[in-house]
Amino acid sequence: MSTLIEKHIVSLLAEKDDRAIALLYENYGDTLYGVAHKVVKDQDLAQDVLQESFIKIWKKADSYDSSKAKLFTWLFRITRNTAIDKLRSVNNKANKEVQIDVSDVYNVGVKGISPDHMDIQDNLDKLEEKYRIVLEALFFEGMTQQEASEELDIPLGTIKSRLKIGLRELGKLYGTTLVLALILNLLL
Amino acid sequence: MKEKINTFLASDLLEKYLLGDISKEEAQQTERYIAMYPEVRESYEELQKNLQIFAQQYALPTPQGLKEAILSAAKQEKRLGRRFYKYAVAASVAIMLFAGTSYFLWDQNRSLQEENTLVTKQIKYLESNMMSQLEDMRNQFIVLNNPDTRKVQVKGKKEGKDLKAVAYINPVKKLSFINVGELPELPENKVFQLWAEVNGELVNLGIIKEFEDKEKLLAMPYGEKAIGYITVEPQGGNASPSVDNIVANISF
Repeated sequence: MSTLIEKHIVSLLAEKDDRAIALLYENYGDTLYGVAHKVVKDQDLAQDVLQESFIKIWKKADSYDSSKAKLFTWLFRITRNTAIDKLRSVNNKANKEVQIDVSDVYNVGVKGISPDHMDIQDNLDKLEEKYRIVLEALFFEGMTQQEASEELDIPLGTIKSRLKIGLRELGKLYGTTLVLALILNLLL
Repeated sequence: MKEKINTFLASDLLEKYLLGDISKEEAQQTERYIAMYPEVRESYEELQKNLQIFAQQYALPTPQGLKEAILSAAKQEKRLGRRFYKYAVAASVAIMLFAGTSYFLWDQNRSLQEENTLVTKQIKYLESNMMSQLEDMRNQFIVLNNPDTRKVQVKGKKEGKDLKAVAYINPVKKLSFINVGELPELPENKVFQLWAEVNGELVNLGIIKEFEDKEKLLAMPYGEKAIGYITVEPQGGNASPSVDNIVANISF
């Protein structure tokens, strides 16, 4: 993500210019949709979440403070929290309507992954399973560290260290891919 | 200092802040650290970068038509917002007008009430004033018309030689009045004063003013064997008369 586009979007948001929404969607839509999907594990719900998140982003546009968080961090927080709230409300409803088959609610319906996303998927696979599980529990399941520790049966201290190392590891992985890509680009 | 920063970085506050899963107090503390220490700021930047990388790995192509739905929803939201703004402005203006009118009416009501109290007081005062005057008039009328009323010419002497006054005395109704028709001129520092001796006590009836209505009757206290006096006293009147100064007697 180029900082130039980011700055442009931020200034459009501040002016309540609706071109900001289109640009946000083009640049962050896939990632945010993926985040929403990862949390709610359902295509229709993920679409609802993305739409609600964008409306929230649009409404809160003037409260975004670039000195406190990068644009993506802000977008991620809103989308993640909207998705977690959505999941909770759906779960509450599902708990009340006992008849509904659980598999209906959690239908994992990812049809296909484009080659672009495949590269990143490879990257993700490289991130050691034990870190990935912790990061996913904290980021997508909306668990607190304490809850993750109990759910995954991992001591709280280990959760904390895996979160730190996992996040740092990502940078390294991504860094090497970037360097490789650059070298490849130069060679070809 | 270094230790403080390391302790902070070792805690999970920065990670919690990154996700927004943090209490207000902790968020403020974290923001303070980010603002104050470059190491913390760098860590936060790195975490943000890595969060994006991590999240991008889950990216999925968005379904067709979703973009259009979101854009139109956002447009509608903007319109609603604008309409709400319009309503809000209209409502504010209405409230201000209402408040202004209310205040105006309240103020008007208050001053009218004040005026009302004042007018009522005035009416009561006039009423009692009129009653006492009527009572006076009635008494005068009774005295003047009553066959039992005696009319006594008051004659002056000394400085009061030219004084012309008539006293009306009614022993039945026990009322007496005096009408001072003409007062001789006195030096500037002297005045005529009216007295009555009732049951051996001298009662001060006040100074007779020169420009008083000639037709006006002055009420005098009535007493058996009472005597009225007119004296010449220094300017402002005297508390008790001196026999030397008597210029007229009115015997009942």
